[in-house]
Amino acid sequence: MDLEGRRRRFEALAPAVIEAVRRYLVRRTDPATADDVLSETLLVCWRRLEEIPEDHLPWAYGVARNCLANADRSRRRQARLFARIATIDPPPPAIAGPEPRDGELEAAMANLRAADAELLRLWAWEDLSPPQIAVVLGISANAASIRLHRAKEKLREELRKAGAAAGHEGETEGSRP
Amino acid sequence: MTDDDLRALLRRADPARDLPASPQRFPLEDIMTTATPAPPAPRKKIALAAAALVLVAAGIGWLTLRPEETTPTVTTQELRTVQLTAPGVQAKCVEPTAEVLAERADFAFAGTVTAVEGATVTLDVTRVYRGDAAGQVRIAQAGDSSEQMMGSGKFENGKKYLVASSQGSMLICGYSGEADAEGLQGLYDRAFA
Repeated sequence: MDLEGRRRRFEALAPAVIEAVRRYLVRRTDPATADDVLSETLLVCWRRLEEIPEDHLPWAYGVARNCLANADRSRRRQARLFARIATIDPPPPAIAGPEPRDGELEAAMANLRAADAELLRLWAWEDLSPPQIAVVLGISANAASIRLHRAKEKLREELRKAGAAAGHEGETEGSRP
Repeated sequence: MTDDDLRALLRRADPARDLPASPQRFPLEDIMTTATPAPPAPRKKIALAAAALVLVAAGIGWLTLRPEETTPTVTTQELRTVQLTAPGVQAKCVEPTAEVLAERADFAFAGTVTAVEGATVTLDVTRVYRGDAAGQVRIAQAGDSSEQMMGSGKFENGKKYLVASSQGSMLICGYSGEADAEGLQGLYDRAFA
């Protein structure tokens, strides 16, 4: 493909990719990292334009996912350093604010395996079908379908447990002198 | 809880739910003008090219040293097979011109891909623009993409291509590609008129 053709194709698909990947990143990281990773993702898209399939969003999510993983690795190194500093010089404890309405869901998601939670996010937030999720994660469509089904089951189970525990906790608190 | 309920519940917790559309235009130009660094040619490619050269040399050697054939007449059926290499190195290209093509190409032909096996592409020659007649050309592709090839950028079975080469190496950067790529046929017609 000649340069002019590449530019035309990139300019045609970039706006949709930017909008989708920006959302994908806002959901998963802080704004500064999101900006960095978005630029990086677009650069990869430009370089590998010939490889982008017709259904380009899942492919772009896959690239963003890898770029974000790289960024997170370097961030974790930083975080370990901060953690050591914090042990020596601990910050004042934050006062717990009121639990947000979706705290239950958040806790249930946190109890899932990270991979299961990510499948559910791709399904609900990015609105992807199992074959598209498969492209993002680099797995077979069949595997994506089965894993998504199981992840949904696990989340339902966690939500049920959380609901039951919340009721129980309320009772013990009430009976305290 | 149905799938729809579960999805709705998750969506309420979507941090990007109220995210407004991007306020500023993304500097696409910066991305596209970021030079794609040409990677240093790995040894593998040199080895491939060397191997191809050896093959060509062997072919020539065989052609010149082979025992006298029983039928000395030149037949169009048994045409020579040419071996070429296609570089996988990415580079910036200047616009191709018929003059450069005419000057640099020592072999140019039109052909249809009959087989793509691993890194080797086989083409049946339909017309030779320059160089000795050949029936078949095999091209060893280094790397999996020839970004500077015109058209789809790679060889696909059954498609027609225009390929020029210099000393056994395929000319890229707009000098080889799909036969119906914009301007390529015209370039060949002008260069080899």
